Amino acid sequence: MESFVGALGLYGLGTLALIWPKRLELAAHYVSMGLASIASLVVLCQSLMTLGGMGGAAVWQLGRYSLAVDGWAAAFLLIIGLSGTAVSIYGMGYGRGYLGARIRQLAGLWNLFLGSMVMVVLAGDAFTFILAWEVMALVSFLLVNHESEKKQVVHAAYQYMVMTHLGTAAILVAFYLLGSGAESFAFADLAHSQLPPVLRHIAFGCAFLGFALKSGLMPLHVWLPNAHPAAPSHVSALMSGVMLKVAVYGFGRFVFEFIGADVFAYGLIVMVVGLVSAFLGVLYASMEKDMKRILAYSSVENMGIIFAAFGCGMLLVAMDKPYLSLAAFTAVLVHSFAHSLMKCLLFMSAGAVMHATGTRTVELLGGLMKKMPWTAAFTLIGSMSLASLPFTAGLVGEWLTLQGMMTLAFESGTPELRLLVIFAFILLGLTGALALGCFVRLYGVTFLGRRRSNLVLKAHEMPFTMLLGMGMEALVILAAGIMPAPLVNAMRQILVDSPLAIPAGNFMGLWWNGGQSEAVFSLWLILIAALWLLAFLALTISGKKVIVRQDVTWNCGTEPTRRQQYTATGFSKPLRRAFDFILKPRRERVFLQREHAYFGRKLHYNLLIPDQFTDRLYRPVQHIMIKAADTLRIVQQGSVRLYIGYTMIAMVIVLIWGGM
Amino acid sequence: MEYLVVLLLFVVFVQTRVMELRRSVVALMAQSVIVACACLLAGLNHGLIHAFVPFALTLGVKVIFIPTAMLKLIKRITDEREIFSDINVNYSTLAAAAFLVFGYVLGNRFMLDPMAQDIFAATVMMIMTGLALMVMRKRAILQICGLITLENGIYLLGLIITEGLPLVVELGVFLDVLIAVVVLVILTNRMSLSFMTTDTTVMRKLKG
Repeated sequence: MESFVGALGLYGLGTLALIWPKRLELAAHYVSMGLASIASLVVLCQSLMTLGGMGGAAVWQLGRYSLAVDGWAAAFLLIIGLSGTAVSIYGMGYGRGYLGARIRQLAGLWNLFLGSMVMVVLAGDAFTFILAWEVMALVSFLLVNHESEKKQVVHAAYQYMVMTHLGTAAILVAFYLLGSGAESFAFADLAHSQLPPVLRHIAFGCAFLGFALKSGLMPLHVWLPNAHPAAPSHVSALMSGVMLKVAVYGFGRFVFEFIGADVFAYGLIVMVVGLVSAFLGVLYASMEKDMKRILAYSSVENMGIIFAAFGCGMLLVAMDKPYLSLAAFTAVLVHSFAHSLMKCLLFMSAGAVMHATGTRTVELLGGLMKKMPWTAAFTLIGSMSLASLPFTAGLVGEWLTLQGMMTLAFESGTPELRLLVIFAFILLGLTGALALGCFVRLYGVTFLGRRRSNLVLKAHEMPFTMLLGMGMEALVILAAGIMPAPLVNAMRQILVDSPLAIPAGNFMGLWWNGGQSEAVFSLWLILIAALWLLAFLALTISGKKVIVRQDVTWNCGTEPTRRQQYTATGFSKPLRRAFDFILKPRRERVFLQREHAYFGRKLHYNLLIPDQFTDRLYRPVQHIMIKAADTLRIVQQGSVRLYIGYTMIAMVIVLIWGGM
Repeated sequence: MEYLVVLLLFVVFVQTRVMELRRSVVALMAQSVIVACACLLAGLNHGLIHAFVPFALTLGVKVIFIPTAMLKLIKRITDEREIFSDINVNYSTLAAAAFLVFGYVLGNRFMLDPMAQDIFAATVMMIMTGLALMVMRKRAILQICGLITLENGIYLLGLIITEGLPLVVELGVFLDVLIAVVVLVILTNRMSLSFMTTDTTVMRKLKG
């Protein structure tokens, strides 16, 4: 525990970069980012030790306020520590680009942001939690708003602030309700909160609303695809990779300790919302042309998967089979971990691409692999992981999620639930397939092929620190993908020790519903299969006499040019057609020149994919609110006498009420 | 004390009927004199020496200083054109009567002592009538009169409920009234300079 407090102190020291003198701003940046990475490293090591059972004291008390660490918290501290270290190292190089543009503020707030996230996870009472949560929200708002010269950025930042405060309000309500039942705000007391069922439902609803908003589940995700791209890349990496997980932490804390998962409807709601977010998130991700928006929507997708697994586990608990929920809850932790790694990695690589070319529109990129080989390699690993291909951490989490669903399907007593699980399988399957397409598109259009604009010409490889940050994440992704057993076992142990106290049982056997075989996720099997396939291909190719003839591709007689390669928009066209009814794309064609029906035409073509939730849900709500405010203006006439009249009426009412 | 209550009620009723500025200030002065006397009597009944201080303060502030300032102001704005658009005075009198009934209904519930009931009813009536005067009158001077009536009512209510407020509180209350009236007088003066009238409805032009 002392190490965690020490790490918080280091973050605090790093925050002091805010007040360094202006002429030392580069030094301030390096010192502050260095402190951030050291502190994150401390958090990483200490959380590993806590997971290994050597953490030392678990509580740090200061009057009525306390910091506490248990298994559930340690898992998320691990996420923060690992990604915090890698991204801070990356940020040393990346942040240099902001020299002269409030770089001290960026570095100082960066430390505060990391510190507040550690604080949220460590909090041992509601007050500390809310305080740290609010600091986290405000600091991330300031970081999103860093490039405040751009109107779009300011717009995104304020949208984010409004949404995140709605979430905080909901969480506050949940805490108040629980606290009123427990007469104390310490987490240990909140766990024994006795609430009447109705209030308990409200508390759960508020908690879910607040945390779902922070994790960007649909339909509360609208801020996410705007805010994450608006922030500097290393900040978006941290926001997308780590901050969203902090919401999962909070939700888990509520479900496991305070509210309980024994109501069937809770799990159902969480699971359905998660599934819908996963599917729609990846669908929108496949449509975007902005690298960071693709990644942001992909975050919505992955948070959806995490919450779907969470809901699945809650359903199993509600069905009184807690020992079976282990796979699902393990999936939550493992996928949170994996997603934080790969999303940080990809945001960092998006930052690197932006750094090199100055744009994040994939339509202007292409052929970057030759210019930035290392970045390309790391991005490939991240993309593979996000597409949940074998040998990467991304697969492990999704695999466990599917295992959880499978268990639910076997155990579901009613046909309705079975139908839901079938529906869930379809959606998850679609999600996986679409994610694969989405990242093939992202990677292919950005790094492969030939350049689509001259911006690529000036691209160059990144400085060492940035590569180091990316490389660390890529390495861990591969390590966790190739040897998932330690990770999965550690996460499983957390759940066995958690307040939910899931009986350990025969975990490996559980995965196939009691079957004794271990044929679940055998790396060696995949490896052998892959080797066989490679050997087969090698043999068939080498067996024949291949005649190599180098020539241009047949192209109806014209010379193939760069402009004829696939564009990102073109690549996702089939999807757009298939899901026309959900996406409702808007096409705008403006003719600049129109000489003939077949030639001599010049036109502007613009394709818009409006977010349906914004159009169908938020706009009407906004409209109604403005109308209601206009209606309220009737009582606000600006006449003092009228206001005195209100006072008089209020006084009469109070007097009568008091007299009764 | 009973006589004082009756007198007070009478004065308040008169206030609801007066539309002329100077007379309304004189009525206000009379009301303040009665409140000062009530204050003195209450203090003597409880045998408190420091009852003289609030008495002197009431006399000084509410009977002498405020009315003098207002009279001076009125002298300056006599050339104002007359406005007869005020809500019919009969309505305000009726409202005052209704408030008196309301005060007795409440007094029955809140107070045990019949004497205290009477005073309580009178104070409720003063407070509500003061508010009603502010709402119903358009001219600034009359609204200030309403404010002072309200203030007197609250002061009297405090007096009978607590049987003598602490001196510090009383000083604070007087300072409040003093400042409020000074500000109001200055504002009214400015208003009559700018708009050539003290009809507060013209202030609506200032709304954005």
